[in-house]
Amino acid sequence: MQLLLGLSRLIDAFSERLGKLIYWLVLLAVVISAGNAVVRKVFNTGSNAFLEIQWYLFSAVFLLGAGYVFLKNAHVRIDFISNRLSPRARNIIDIVGILLILWPFCILFIELSWPIFTRAWVSGEMSQNAGGLIRWPVFLLMPVGFALLMLQGVSELIKRFAFLAGLIPDPIGHNPHSPEEEVLSYEIEEHAGRAREEQR
Amino acid sequence: MAFIVEYFVPLMFIGLLVFLLSGFPVAFALAATGLLFGTIGMEAGLFHSTLFQALPLRLFGIMQNDTLLAIPFFTLMGIILQKSGMAEDLLESIGQVFGPLRGGLALAVVMVGALLAATTGVVAASVIAMGLISLPIMLRYGYNRAIAAGTITASGTLAQAIPPSLVLIVMADQLGRSVGDMYAGAMIPAFMLVGLYVLFIVGVAVFKPDWVPALPPEARIYREPNGSSGQMSLWLLSAGSWGIGALLFLNYDSLAVSLFGRTGDAPFDERAIFTLSVIGITALVLAIVNKKLKLGLLSVLAERVTFALIPPLVLIFLVLGTIFLGVATPTEGGAMGAVGALIMALSRRQLSMVLLKEALDNSARLSCFVLFILIGSTVFSFTFNAADGHIWVEHLFDKLPGGQIGFLVFVNLLVFILGMFIDFFEIAFIVIPILAPVADKMDINLIWFGVIIAMNLQTSFLTPPFGFALFYLRSVAARTAYKDTVTGKQIEPLTTPQIYKGAIAFIILQVIMVAVLIMYPGLVTGSLDEKVKVDLNTIELDAGSSSWGDQPALPDPAAAPSDPAADPAAALMEEMRREGKR
Repeated sequence: MQLLLGLSRLIDAFSERLGKLIYWLVLLAVVISAGNAVVRKVFNTGSNAFLEIQWYLFSAVFLLGAGYVFLKNAHVRIDFISNRLSPRARNIIDIVGILLILWPFCILFIELSWPIFTRAWVSGEMSQNAGGLIRWPVFLLMPVGFALLMLQGVSELIKRFAFLAGLIPDPIGHNPHSPEEEVLSYEIEEHAGRAREEQR
Repeated sequence: MAFIVEYFVPLMFIGLLVFLLSGFPVAFALAATGLLFGTIGMEAGLFHSTLFQALPLRLFGIMQNDTLLAIPFFTLMGIILQKSGMAEDLLESIGQVFGPLRGGLALAVVMVGALLAATTGVVAASVIAMGLISLPIMLRYGYNRAIAAGTITASGTLAQAIPPSLVLIVMADQLGRSVGDMYAGAMIPAFMLVGLYVLFIVGVAVFKPDWVPALPPEARIYREPNGSSGQMSLWLLSAGSWGIGALLFLNYDSLAVSLFGRTGDAPFDERAIFTLSVIGITALVLAIVNKKLKLGLLSVLAERVTFALIPPLVLIFLVLGTIFLGVATPTEGGAMGAVGALIMALSRRQLSMVLLKEALDNSARLSCFVLFILIGSTVFSFTFNAADGHIWVEHLFDKLPGGQIGFLVFVNLLVFILGMFIDFFEIAFIVIPILAPVADKMDINLIWFGVIIAMNLQTSFLTPPFGFALFYLRSVAARTAYKDTVTGKQIEPLTTPQIYKGAIAFIILQVIMVAVLIMYPGLVTGSLDEKVKVDLNTIELDAGSSSWGDQPALPDPAAAPSDPAADPAAALMEEMRREGKR
């Protein structure tokens, strides 16, 4: 079990690193998108490559980020019933969910999207749009994204079992109502701190 | 087996409910329902065994979707703004302007809420800022607690109703309409809602004066050397700027001809945005000249208000202005806004590396979980449509009396109730795709439909037990009695029932607004151009989705749903040019 927990920590660290890397793509997309509008207005010209790179980047963010978001337990749950269950029951639901829901879902998408990538790779398919980008990198994002999500599933599965065995604290124990709220709790703290300082 | 075939669609709904309520992430629960029932259907001989072959194409369609790209942009903008201190400045200065009036502080909160809402589409930011800044002042001077709490939570949720809001973007995407039209349609209803809030507060001030007392003179922060409040100077400044604005507004068409070479009547929204920008710039120029030359013509109050108002006005222009003027697509408008917010935060020295990373991280996470819900719901509706679920749903409404109105009333009740329990993203991605084809078939204008639902979804932030705005306020309002630093009085904590009670009045106002919109579709459709009605190339929602299940096309990426034009950049340029000349 300790070996498995080690593996889980390894996967977590990997997802974390990757997540922290890909969020920069959001900034890149922002700059490119705003740039597109300005260039179009000012220079009266546009490039399909720059239009396409926007959604290439965005696709990379949400597909490659899926595992990271799963690690952060930030995929929204409708939890007003599960919150009343015991931590044990919640972890068991997650185990069943990962095995019977998440993995088949990922496997199906990997299986179906892989041939699309290989075909585009072999044929060197380009976007149909004039001056568009080559397609295989964006096709590759699909199987890779789901594979990363599946990989994170392995780590989560280990953590759920470890909890049931009493080895680690509840991995989903602190269950914020929503990821937005989790994000907020940090900000609220910060605001409150600032407000307190001002009062003094 | 016969039982399963007979009741396939209702069974699918039950399955969905079970999966969703299990507490497993919504995105995967949705997908699981689709996959499970798809497999069952294949076993039962309902579907072709290649049913799922076309799924990656659907995923690719989602990836290519430019509209949803606006989600991380607006989220990023919202988070940066929240940290930039803009809301704080606005609340403080506008609170000072209206504070001396009865009900004035509440009015200031509504106005700041509306301004923040027009800059970005994120609820949390405004509620938290108001809860920290305005609430203590309101409680200090004896505001009715429920009214104070209700004003803050409701004003914060305006972010969902006033363009540019995430709800409207998602609705536009799900209804297959353009975001620009959705924004244009939501404009008047949004203004009316703000108007309703203002009327309500004025009403309270008239009939229950001690619920919303005026601030005493000692609560003034900005003071002139001679002890006056400086209000006069502010009114003169704004009268001057608005006068110039009014002149421009009335003569806009003739000016537009000489400035942009445009002919014909400019749409109202464009005129309004342009005028507002000019008003803001006039006031700013006057204030800067006054400050730099040390003329001393303006009071401290007037100066502070002007400087506090400029950032939001610039951002509104960057986002909505560029969209309505036809410079940027809504997605690009979001990007411009995000860049603007970043520059503003930088120039105020409020943008640190930690903050930037935090904001990017949040935006990436939010977009990822939202897009995965969409992927899940696509898998669900894939099987659902293959089983002709949309026809089953249509038949459900056959028996509903009242035609269009009956349908709308029912849908709104449903959304309202669901909104008490689940998030608007889930509602938009699960419920709307099921209902939209029915609405379309009933000849309901989908922009109208979308704006009504968006207005309704706004209430979901206020309705207990899961109203996010209520949570946000709860999290920043004092839970225990505290000693007020200014007056030294003991202030009782704001209780949760008070927060809930305060929301009720505003929920009623919003429900009234939804009812008005249902009765007068012209409020939404009146501000759209005629082209909306003949815009056939955007109706992609149900086209083909039912046939795909039975005879799936081979996954040929070349046939992926892409723009019919081979050169989108050129098409976009043409489109913007047309928009600009409109």
